[in-house]
Amino acid sequence: MRDDDEFDPENDGTRRTRWSGLVGVSVGRLWKRTVRTKSGRIVATTGAVALTIALLIVVTGIALALADGGTVTDTDADVQIAPEESGTLSAVDGVEGPRLGETNERAEAIGSQDGVDHASPMLVEPVKLEPTVEDGDPQTILLVGIVPDDEPRTVGGLPTAGLEPGDTHYNDGNYDGPQRGEIVLSEAAADRLEAGPDDEIDVAGSQFSEDALTPSVTVRAVETAGDGDDETPIALVHASELQTVAGADNGQLADQVLVWGDSEAATAAADDAYSDAAIESTGGTDPSSLFGDGLAFATSLLALIVGVAICASFVATTAGMTVNEDRRMLAVLESVGFPTHSRLLIIAVSTLLTTLGGALLGIVLGVGGIYVVNAVAGATVAPGAVAHVHPVFVPYAVLVALVSGLVAVPYPLAVAARTSVLEEVGR
Amino acid sequence: MNHRTPQQATASDGRANDGGGPTAAVRLEGITHEYGASGGRGRSSGDRTVTALQDVSFDIQAGDIVGLEGPSGSGKSTILHAVTGLLVPTAGTVELLGTDLTELSDRKRTRIRRRHVGIVFQRFHLLPSLSARANVALPLVQAGIPRSTRRERAETLLEQVGLGDRSTHLPGELSGGERQRVAIARALVTDPDIIVADEPTGELDTATGDDVLDLLTDIGRERAVLVASHDDATLSVADRVVTLRDGRVVSNAG
Repeated sequence: MRDDDEFDPENDGTRRTRWSGLVGVSVGRLWKRTVRTKSGRIVATTGAVALTIALLIVVTGIALALADGGTVTDTDADVQIAPEESGTLSAVDGVEGPRLGETNERAEAIGSQDGVDHASPMLVEPVKLEPTVEDGDPQTILLVGIVPDDEPRTVGGLPTAGLEPGDTHYNDGNYDGPQRGEIVLSEAAADRLEAGPDDEIDVAGSQFSEDALTPSVTVRAVETAGDGDDETPIALVHASELQTVAGADNGQLADQVLVWGDSEAATAAADDAYSDAAIESTGGTDPSSLFGDGLAFATSLLALIVGVAICASFVATTAGMTVNEDRRMLAVLESVGFPTHSRLLIIAVSTLLTTLGGALLGIVLGVGGIYVVNAVAGATVAPGAVAHVHPVFVPYAVLVALVSGLVAVPYPLAVAARTSVLEEVGR
Repeated sequence: MNHRTPQQATASDGRANDGGGPTAAVRLEGITHEYGASGGRGRSSGDRTVTALQDVSFDIQAGDIVGLEGPSGSGKSTILHAVTGLLVPTAGTVELLGTDLTELSDRKRTRIRRRHVGIVFQRFHLLPSLSARANVALPLVQAGIPRSTRRERAETLLEQVGLGDRSTHLPGELSGGERQRVAIARALVTDPDIIVADEPTGELDTATGDDVLDLLTDIGRERAVLVASHDDATLSVADRVVTLRDGRVVSNAG
């Protein structure tokens, strides 16, 4: 038994291998406990964290959908080109923001690029329309001017299919082609105007320059806004006709240019056409919009605080109970020469890893939960998605779980530090 | 046989034995311990204390197997814990290879235990979620030994205790005798100078117990071994048996 005299543990040891060894013991132990000895406590901790994180993700997803721009920006375009906000700052609140120029021409150019299916200017203008009933007051409707094509698309939360494809009035920038006079109303707009399909609606006079046309339009369809918004009176018309009414034909102005097609090709084409504008890929939802919406921000902040609190409580309780079961292990470690800090490291790593495992499971459950919520909402109360998924949820959930783990870890550490080796090994 | 001493490993740890003659592997001098005192020396209170050891002195040379017998409550476990540095007696000195453990901090005692002492428990105390090999290699983790060396070393020791084919088994998949042999391999993995065994055959049947005793005797050829037991068969392998009664040494015979 003594033929191994040359073995001297102290000669080989390094701090790095010690730390990696300690982490390895934690990981190995945790893995074996999960897979081979099927520890109930680990399942409980992981499950509790997973459910909390899943709930956090679902609530944040709903908040994100809540904050996501409202009806006007509800489009299925892959890329949105908007003027840089910082370019022209107005000191007067309520003054119209900057707009893009030459939009019809450039949208056509963008639309002809490879990989791009369609591009359209989008002009948003509040316009007073006369209701169909006698003596009714003109109602302000948010008109969205676009150039539709043959494909069904969504702009301002409304389907463009009700409008005749193309934009004949534009006529290569002359704005003298025949006007279609078509309008697609949202339910809210139809209510205000008391209008239905095929009704004729007049644009209220004298709200724009005197030489502007005050045409009438025919309601082609009344549609439910895509995100279930039944408050905003919004309507789709052909872009050039709205430009003419609003005086935006001079310079082919529009608030945005929407591009459909392959996201990368669309972005590249947009970049070519408008090098100074902000180009946003709308393939996903922008989480920063959460900060711009009070209710959504409050909802997600509340979800975060509740999530961290519940998660930390669960982790602290279950990890504390696990450590209680682990007292003998801690005593054994001390008896074979593990100092306090090494024993506590093993407990801390085990706790944080369990939390992390729970977070990963929670992400899967949460994303699944969002699909379920959307399916249920779609089948019952809402016409579209009420919760959004975003890739940033993954690091967000992991971070929240880690913070919860760090908040919780002092408790199991305190339980571990109180372990008496003599009591345990003496049993 | 000893290629390291605590003095070399921890130069300023404690005071070295400056007495003449060869340094004993373990030397207990006037050990007294009271449970219910608030811990270490100098802090005992007179109220509700139980005296577990009273003026216990003996030593163990390298190569000696010393048995420790006595009824329950006679202080056997307290002596074992004092020798391993898990407990600091209320009074007296515990020297390991010339270093007084009672003078050291918790951290330094833990280090000396890791480097020089191997412990074998009655109930094995293996970690149930680690394989036999990982259990054996456990003390080397804290020593900072690279993983491949740890594995190699653990497998060598498992071979030596006859469990070469069980290295990936969890303790729950091993018999009592096999678990105790894994525990012995773990005690040997840092090549310690002193082995402390508390009722090593207490949970085993006679035949398995004999195997474990053979192993301990084999180990004891070049190390100092202290075995506490009630069992005559276990004590029969000792070169000398120290008998305790009510915390005092009543016999220290060869």
